[in-house]
Amino acid sequence: MRKLKPLLLAMLLLAVQVLWAQVPVTGRVTDERTGSPIVGATVSVKGGSANAVTGPDGSFTINAPQNATLVISYVGFRKIEVAASATPITASLAAGETSLDEVVVVGYGTKIKRDVTGAIAKVGSAELANTPVTSFETALQGRAAGVQVTQQNGKLGQGINIRIRGASSVTGGNEPLYVVDGIPVVTLNLSSNGAPTNPLAELNTNDIESIEILKDASSAAIYGSRASNGVVLITTKRGKTGRSRVDFGFYTGMQKPTRKMEFLNAEDYVKLMYQAAEGAGRYDFRYDISGYSSEQEAIADNIDFLESRLRRYSAGNDDYKTYKVNTNWQDQAFQDAPISQYDLSFSGGNERTTFYMGGQYLDQTGILLGNSYKKYNGRLNLDHKFNNWLNLGMNLNFARSLNDRVSNDNAFSNPLQIVALSPITPLIDPRTGLISGASDPARATNPGGPNTNYPVYYNPILNYADAYLNTTVNRTLGNLFGQAQLFKNLTFRSELGMDQMNQNEDGYYGPLTERNSGYPKGGGLASSDQILNITTNNFFRYATSFADRHDIDGVVGMSYQNQRIYSIYAEAEAFPSSAYKKLASAATKADASSSESQFSFLSYFARANYKFNDKYLLTLSGRFDASSRFGANNRWGFFPAASAGWIVSEENFLKNSNAISFLKLKASYGLTGNAEIGNFASLGLFSGDAPYNGVPGQHPSQLANPDLKWETSTSGDVGFEIGFLKNRISAEVDLYMKKTKDLLLNVEVPGTSGFASQLRNIGNMENKGIEISINSDNIATRNFRWTTNVNFSLNRNKITNLAGQEIGIGRQNRAREGQPLGVFVAREFAGADVQTGDALYIKNTVGPDGKLDRSTTADYNEAEEVVVGNPNPDFIYGIRNTVNFKGFDLELMLQGVYGNENYAGGGQYMSASASNGFDNQTRDQLAAWKAPGDVTRIPEARLFFPNGTDPSSRFVSDGSFLRVKTLMLGYSLPKSVIGRIGLDRARVYVRGQNLFTFTNYNGWDPEVNADYQASNINQGVDFYSAPQIRAIVFGVNVGL
Amino acid sequence: MKRINKFLGIAALLFTMSACEKNLDITPTQSIDEGQALRTSSDVEAALIGAYSDLGDADVYGGNIMLISELLGGSNLFNWTGTFQGLTQLYNKSTPVNNVFVRDTWLDSYQVINDVNNVLSALDVVLPARKARVEGEAKFIRGAVYFELVRLYAKSWNDGNPANNDGVPLILTPTRAPLNESSNVARAKVSEVYAQAIKDLTEAEALLPAAQTNNVFASRYAAAAMLARIYLQQGNYEQAAAAANRVITANRYRLVETDAVFPFNSQNLSEDTESPAEYIFSIAVTSSAGVNELNTYFSTTGRGDIDLRDAFVAQFEPDDQRLDLIYRDGGLRTAKYDMVYGNVPVVRLAEMYLIRAEANFRLGTAVGASPLSDVNQIRTRAGLQPLNAGQLTLASILKERRLELAFEGAVLHDIKRLQGSIGPYAWNAPRLVLPIPERERQVNPNLTQNEGY
Repeated sequence: MRKLKPLLLAMLLLAVQVLWAQVPVTGRVTDERTGSPIVGATVSVKGGSANAVTGPDGSFTINAPQNATLVISYVGFRKIEVAASATPITASLAAGETSLDEVVVVGYGTKIKRDVTGAIAKVGSAELANTPVTSFETALQGRAAGVQVTQQNGKLGQGINIRIRGASSVTGGNEPLYVVDGIPVVTLNLSSNGAPTNPLAELNTNDIESIEILKDASSAAIYGSRASNGVVLITTKRGKTGRSRVDFGFYTGMQKPTRKMEFLNAEDYVKLMYQAAEGAGRYDFRYDISGYSSEQEAIADNIDFLESRLRRYSAGNDDYKTYKVNTNWQDQAFQDAPISQYDLSFSGGNERTTFYMGGQYLDQTGILLGNSYKKYNGRLNLDHKFNNWLNLGMNLNFARSLNDRVSNDNAFSNPLQIVALSPITPLIDPRTGLISGASDPARATNPGGPNTNYPVYYNPILNYADAYLNTTVNRTLGNLFGQAQLFKNLTFRSELGMDQMNQNEDGYYGPLTERNSGYPKGGGLASSDQILNITTNNFFRYATSFADRHDIDGVVGMSYQNQRIYSIYAEAEAFPSSAYKKLASAATKADASSSESQFSFLSYFARANYKFNDKYLLTLSGRFDASSRFGANNRWGFFPAASAGWIVSEENFLKNSNAISFLKLKASYGLTGNAEIGNFASLGLFSGDAPYNGVPGQHPSQLANPDLKWETSTSGDVGFEIGFLKNRISAEVDLYMKKTKDLLLNVEVPGTSGFASQLRNIGNMENKGIEISINSDNIATRNFRWTTNVNFSLNRNKITNLAGQEIGIGRQNRAREGQPLGVFVAREFAGADVQTGDALYIKNTVGPDGKLDRSTTADYNEAEEVVVGNPNPDFIYGIRNTVNFKGFDLELMLQGVYGNENYAGGGQYMSASASNGFDNQTRDQLAAWKAPGDVTRIPEARLFFPNGTDPSSRFVSDGSFLRVKTLMLGYSLPKSVIGRIGLDRARVYVRGQNLFTFTNYNGWDPEVNADYQASNINQGVDFYSAPQIRAIVFGVNVGL
Repeated sequence: MKRINKFLGIAALLFTMSACEKNLDITPTQSIDEGQALRTSSDVEAALIGAYSDLGDADVYGGNIMLISELLGGSNLFNWTGTFQGLTQLYNKSTPVNNVFVRDTWLDSYQVINDVNNVLSALDVVLPARKARVEGEAKFIRGAVYFELVRLYAKSWNDGNPANNDGVPLILTPTRAPLNESSNVARAKVSEVYAQAIKDLTEAEALLPAAQTNNVFASRYAAAAMLARIYLQQGNYEQAAAAANRVITANRYRLVETDAVFPFNSQNLSEDTESPAEYIFSIAVTSSAGVNELNTYFSTTGRGDIDLRDAFVAQFEPDDQRLDLIYRDGGLRTAKYDMVYGNVPVVRLAEMYLIRAEANFRLGTAVGASPLSDVNQIRTRAGLQPLNAGQLTLASILKERRLELAFEGAVLHDIKRLQGSIGPYAWNAPRLVLPIPERERQVNPNLTQNEGY
């Protein structure tokens, strides 16, 4: 800190300069092609800070020094520079914006794309608008190089994982830092049902002007200890001077699952089960497990057992013998799923005050039975010029969402677990006329209550009938800011931001759910979380140019953030009747707790940019960060970064090239940190959550580590940007290497210590990769325009050091030295033994001679675990085509993920050779081994003698896919038509989201991560996880 | 104008620099620093409660310690129909080294041991009037858990020489950071672990009061009862009879009616219940804390994963009232654990009669009472005719024990002690010993694996 003071003073002194003489300059801006005025174009003084916006007739007035150069720009047009000498100025703009002139938001400021030396991906509002999804991250899928967005499943408003240039942490957070209009926002998952909710879903995608993703150290290091996973800057829309605008948007449509799976019908199921009972009898006798005297006796006994069960699951009759009942349970897990969204926004303003006001209502029904999401959203962004040196403004967003949720993937009540039920089980139990499982008149305890052993498992439809879990979020996100022009080149900006989020959960599990919830008279839960996140940013910005060839600008400031959470949770059971659903009516209050936690960050940051002769670019930045989360011995961290660029196309040897219109080489290097650990992870703790027999108790809960600190990533990036043919074709290529050290690891410790793990800074990981984006204006004529954007990213993640340990033992995904994070480690499956039908595994043991033994064994313990798959893709890509023809517009967007594997976590039940219970099986299990000589991958069916169900490569499959993410056709009505009814703009469209998915994956959807266990390490596991959503919507946008 | 700006600039600068570091000192509210945790007598007593809480964990005395014995020791008396693969593996006697129940019982048991080691390390601050009780309870818990661990994770006492067979690591001091090489504790011998368990329980018996609330906290007789079990397991019948006799003659526990041995209320299965007067030590389960994991697997109010076979029922004499504890609901079930929040019985008086009877019978003694009288106590309580002297054999005592204590976690250890067999597996088959968990051996290179894994 002390080091910063002289620096700050120096910057301030530089700023004390004489104000230059200013004169008002007026002019008018028109469209070169049509000659009509351009409203809302930006006019600024080159090298200065003044700017103006053109009014309804295209005219502007700006104060500019004599002989200044004005820069005039407008979205969709090429930027031009004109001398401010002859007034009034007449400027005409030509269509065809080059991306080089785009303004890019960076931390605590903005930059022109041409001058950026870091790696920043930008996605604009046009790409995001009206995507029929719950949360904006989904709309980013496939749109930015180096950014992988994975939605865990098709449940609404739930977990999404974003990896920017791969994962940089094993145990700490791997999600980027989200900053909305300068304020870091709350991203805590507050769900209590085991599946995460997504706190970013409350943002209105249509309010977003742009999303900038800071990928390399040079761009992200200004966010210091929180930047290792990249930073997502979200900028919301602001009003423009000129005519007031009203925009109304509406779409409505239907959603379906992207894919379904194939399960056995009644006949195949019954036949396979008989096969399994015979297999069980043979096996039991062969190994003398139950002491049968002959194989026939063993088989007969198993068939008796089977038939008693089939009869039970056939609602107590013999219908199973004739396959009379053939229920497709999978279809029952899904429901009709309409989606509608309404948007209304107003914007406009005059020279002193501009505003943007937006509102949205989203009404989305989920594809899973009982799932729905509603969102109400309002925003007001206001800017006001108080006087000639002071600007004030505010952004305020309030949102409310109502999420009718379904259970986590691992719960029997998860709708998709319904596929485990037998196809011989009728939907309606003929004995009671009620949903199967709802009532058992013969039940010894609680007659008439829900069945306890029919159907084979709890019927999730009962949750739909008699339970709910509603999550309500009320959120206010806003900030106030003031910006003072202290001197000609020096401004001071102060921002005070607040993110207040209240999340309530209201759950009820009625008597029908007894078999699952354990509440014969119903049970309920209520939880409330209040988060208050306060941030203040205070910083100076300085910009000057001198001697006509030196441009300098800089930022120096501080930031403080405090986030506090207060939570209440209560559970109760036994209600007088199912008409009472709130805890007030419950007889037994079973659980009640309140808790509180907080963290804070104090930071000082600085950045300086230097540009020489418009050719040579240099950026230096640094941030000092301190956090309450770090151990006492390591409180402050320093995160510096540097980058440089050379615009080669400004050099004489390229300046006049017709082919190459732009070429920039760039390189960056720097340090970033990751502080996403628990709030008190460094302390040795006892916790008071160990009551016994109504007496409060405490017990040790955490091992101390006073040395605990952030993880540090060192990243290097080299790249170039190139434009051809007046930048009609442009490309950006980046190569990067990110090395993370001092990994925050939950290191497994000997259990004999009384602890399972301890958080330590140990270990190293690296990511390296290539990103390529290509933008091409293929055809640009007066009536026809065709553009193509392609992005491709390849990332190689490797854990280089874990201090010799392996994390995740006992689960499928592991963190293992020398391997990418989350590889699947299991025994290598080798199909069925041709002679016995036993599941075989490849030993993979290393003999004394150092040779790998690739022979097979039926003894699971005898085989070694090996890496059998990798959930990280080899590469990801996106291809976007847009075509405009007269009033028509077409967008085709493809998203692809290639080279990753998925693990079928549910395979041990649903693809288990009918050997692990009465679960219905996937169709491929019909190929199970039947007699000696059969060559098959599916071991012999043996009821209740699990055959090959232990974790193994049997359940690993290719998760690559190519998806038609967006296919949209729109038509803008001609002005001659809509003008008559007083409209300025009107467009109708039809849009498909996730229309087609091309994949070899044999589960539901290849984009999957079982929500109850998703983590940095646990990726790509499919456990009765809902497939993604396919939607077709019809929409209209009108404006006046 | 310029002056105002200078002034503003400096003000802004000062404002920017003024944030101070004290805002970074934040302490947790639900947890406290370990240095603050054991300062007073009530702190240490709360830590003892925490140890009970962890002792009642699902993977320890909440039920899985007993369940593992029943599944590994089960042969043809019931069918396992559950889908928890880890339990299916135990029932099939094909337990992989990564079995999650094997892992969690290990981890959670040692968590209890660390809990009580913390209590024992801070006895100095405990009020003198309470010190003996606190120390006694902590030692009871530690002794009991080591006994359970050594008989699940190591060769049986009577299998070869227990002084040569590897037992489990013995940890007797609380864990504090940093962990280092000395934290990789090797396995003590079976005899050493037994010796520690006997030492802890013997000291506990001397320190503890005769009575404790509702028998869900350890009393003097809970320690004696656990000792009786250990001595029986070792074949030390004199000490077993003596310890059982101390419990019986205390006259603090009584045999209740058969239908009251296990709490049951057909009107409300999720009612909170007290332990019956027969229980010497049990784990408290209430609707707000604790879990009865035996309810989970045995009862239809839980998952109902265990179907009794007719062969089990066939062992009973027709008018045995204990048959009333078997009912048909989907499959044949035991009613012992039908109460969702029923306390989990760990040791009850009937077992003491049976231990005294067996030990006296083997020794030809009549410590406390004759074996015939003790067995008939159990038989008449079940509504059966008493045996006469000519009918009393070791087999008849052991049968009574099997029927009386069915599904209470004794079966595996009895078969090993009595050198019987389970299906094709002899009492000392390696498959009847749990493996040392794979995760534990990967973090602690000093741990040997059991034979057969």
